[in-house]
Order: sequence, then structure tokens, then C-alpha cells
Amino acid sequence: MDHDEAVRQKATERYLLGELHPELKDQFEEHLFDCQDCALDVRAAAMFVEQSKAILSEPTVMLPQRAAAPAPRAGWLTWLRPAFAVPALALLLAVVGYQNLVTYPHLMQAANQPQVGPWASINVSTRGVTPTVIKARRGEGFGLLVNLPPEEGFASYAADLYNPAQKLEWSGPISAATSEEGRQIYIPGRGDQPGTYTLVVRGITTAGESKQVSRHSIDLQVQN
Amino acid sequence: MVKVFRFTTARMIPSSSTSVLNWLTLQHLRGRFLELQSFDESYVERLRAGDFRTQEHFVAYFSELIQLKLRSRLHSPQAIEDVRQETFTRVFAALRSGKIRQPDRLGAFVNSMCNNVLLEQYRASSRDSSLEDEEETDFPALTLDVLGAIAAKQMAEKIREILEEMPERDRRLLREVFLEERDKDEVCRDFGVDRDYLRVLLHRAKQSFKSLYLKNMAARPPGVVAAAKL
Repeated sequence: MDHDEAVRQKATERYLLGELHPELKDQFEEHLFDCQDCALDVRAAAMFVEQSKAILSEPTVMLPQRAAAPAPRAGWLTWLRPAFAVPALALLLAVVGYQNLVTYPHLMQAANQPQVGPWASINVSTRGVTPTVIKARRGEGFGLLVNLPPEEGFASYAADLYNPAQKLEWSGPISAATSEEGRQIYIPGRGDQPGTYTLVVRGITTAGESKQVSRHSIDLQVQN
Repeated sequence: MVKVFRFTTARMIPSSSTSVLNWLTLQHLRGRFLELQSFDESYVERLRAGDFRTQEHFVAYFSELIQLKLRSRLHSPQAIEDVRQETFTRVFAALRSGKIRQPDRLGAFVNSMCNNVLLEQYRASSRDSSLEDEEETDFPALTLDVLGAIAAKQMAEKIREILEEMPERDRRLLREVFLEERDKDEVCRDFGVDRDYLRVLLHRAKQSFKSLYLKNMAARPPGVVAAAKL
């Protein structure tokens, strides 16, 4: 047995665990007596084992002395003292109140209002080479009216929207429609991120298999 | 063929190779750290010439390896000590008569000599079973030099640290294998691990410990002799 083989076979560990076949054991010992590196390795491991036996026989070692850092109960308890708790609670109440009385009603109102913005028509049946151009103001969203092909044999559809960095930004289902219906996808607040977006429409079969039906490029241009 | 040596605490620093053998028993050597020396022609020459430091290093270096080799083969500490001493006696005799022709294979020569003595020990013990029943001889303990004691303490602390950083399960695994000496396959089965896991566990622990072990070896001045308690 040479040194490389001894290292590869983890001969030191096998030797101390008594796992070496008698013939291999003899070979390793012959090498060990001549190789100071392996001798050092075995001596270090043997010392570790011997000392471990002494330490492991101690009952206290079963619980690690290096206990995890104590839970910050003292810290939390500190915060519950009246000097800290009262102003903290008052601040929390003020924030919650503002959100419920002012912020959320405004958001709900905005969400319930009709949306006016740019849009473009995407015909899934056609494979346009030139990108569809949409011009939006800064911060404004845009809509895509997706016309699905009739009787393609798919149970439903799904759409994936990729941003100019070709990262998937959104993915959602589109229920199958008749040839007279379209589906609008509204993409909010992209006016700050001009560039070429990609809309991929996939058909989903009754067996759940997905197949790309069309791929469209949308060039979003920002107007000041 | 097998000799049993005795010595007293009154013996001072020895002057002959046989005296080195008598003086440096396994108990005295335990915990000693040895600087690395090349086993070359110069080393063998110093050994043959009776240089004490070289002899001390030689006996200390190979004693530990011989003990590791013998402990899985002989159950009696006395038998181990007998084989160790006989091995060295024969190696020194071979040195004096110029029989060691390949200095760089000195280690293999020692191993081979040990194998021969071991074989004779087996034969002797099969003839005379009372050898196994021999009472252990308690050699007087010697006071280790201060440097050795400090290093030993550092080693122990490091090993404790390594064990404490292990998950509880791994500690228990090592305990079952090395302290309780249970069958390793059974232990691995109980813990839901394979033998390779056990090997890797030991390997990593040894690697964590080895750097301190090497550092202590390098720091220990050569030729420091354990003081005898008179």
C-alpha cells in the first residue's frame, strides 16, 4: 500500500475502527512504520479517540457546555416595562389607525375606479414578427387584449409575461373563450420600465399538458 | 525468549540502549510529543553510536506505533510491553551488528521485527496459557516535564471543544463505538447511518484536532527528557 492509496482509502480511520481486512492491515502497518505522515495521522487520531473516551464517559458532556445563546427574553421583557411599552403601543396604534382610516380607503377607491390607459391587441393565431408598440406615461400601466384562437382543442390557456431582462414577471391562467371573446391582461405601473416585454401564451390540454401557442414581443415606450 | 523488565525509580538518565528501553516504558511515553526526524543514514549512525537523544526519539516514536499495532492483537498490557521491549532489543542488536542496510526503511525493519516477536508470543502463549494470567506490573509514574503537561492539557481541551461542537447524536455515536465498544454495525443501524458516516465523522474530528497536535509537536524542544521522580 502506498501513501496515496492509504489516504484515498481513509486507511487511518479504517485502521482505528478495526475495519481493515487482515492482509490490508498488515500492508497499512508496513507503510505506517515507514511513512511519517501516516504515522502522525494515526497518532493524532488515536489520541483523539483515547481522550474522547475519557470525556465521553463524563455525564456532563451529554449536554453541550456551549449552550445556544439564551433566548432574548430579558431583552423582550425590558421592552415591556412601562417606560418603553406605553409610547411604543401608542405609536403602533397611530400607524394602524392611519392605515385603516386613510391609506386603505384611498387604495380601495383607486382600485374600484375605471382604469384609463394604453392597450394593444394580441392575436394569438397570428405570429407577428414586428413587436407591438405601446406608449405609456411614466408610472402608467398598460393593457393587452388577448384574442384566443377558436377550437384549438385546449381546455384552457395560460400566459407568461417576461420583462425586458427576460425574467418571468407574471404567469396566470386564461380560461378558454369563444372566438368572439378576448381576454384583457392589465399590467400595472410599468411606465418606469420601458423595453421589450414578451408575452407567451400556452394551451393546457385536458390531460394537463402545456404547449406554447404563441409568443409576442411588446415594445413599451415611455412618454414624458 | 520473552523478557520482563523491571526498574526502580532510583534509575537516573541511562547510558546504554538497553537502559533506554528499560527506562522509557509505555507509561512514560504516553502523551509525549515527538519532533519529526528523517530516518536516514545519519540517524541510523547516531543510533548505532548510542546517541541518547536519538535513541530516546527512536524508542518513543516507534513505541506508540507498536502499541497501536499490538493492542488489537494482544489483550494483556504486560504482553504488549513484553513484545515491545523484545522488538527493540532485537532491533538494537541488529543495529550493532550492522544488519540494517537500508536506513530509509528503518521503520519497515522495526515492523518486521515486531511481527516476528509477535509470532513467537502467540506460540509461547499457546504453550503456556498462564502468560495471559500474569499480573500487570505497575510501573512507577514519572512526572512529565512542564511543557508536556501544558501541551497535554491543551490537547484535552481541544478535543473537548471538538466534541462539544458536534451534534449530540454524533457524540453518542462515538460514545457507543469507542467507549461502550458495541458492535459497529449494530450501532450504525441504531443510529440510521452507514459505516462511511462513522469514518467521515472520525476523519473530520481528527482533522480538526491535528493542527493543534502538529503545532504542539513543532513547539516541543528536541531532547527534552521527562524528569524522574526519585
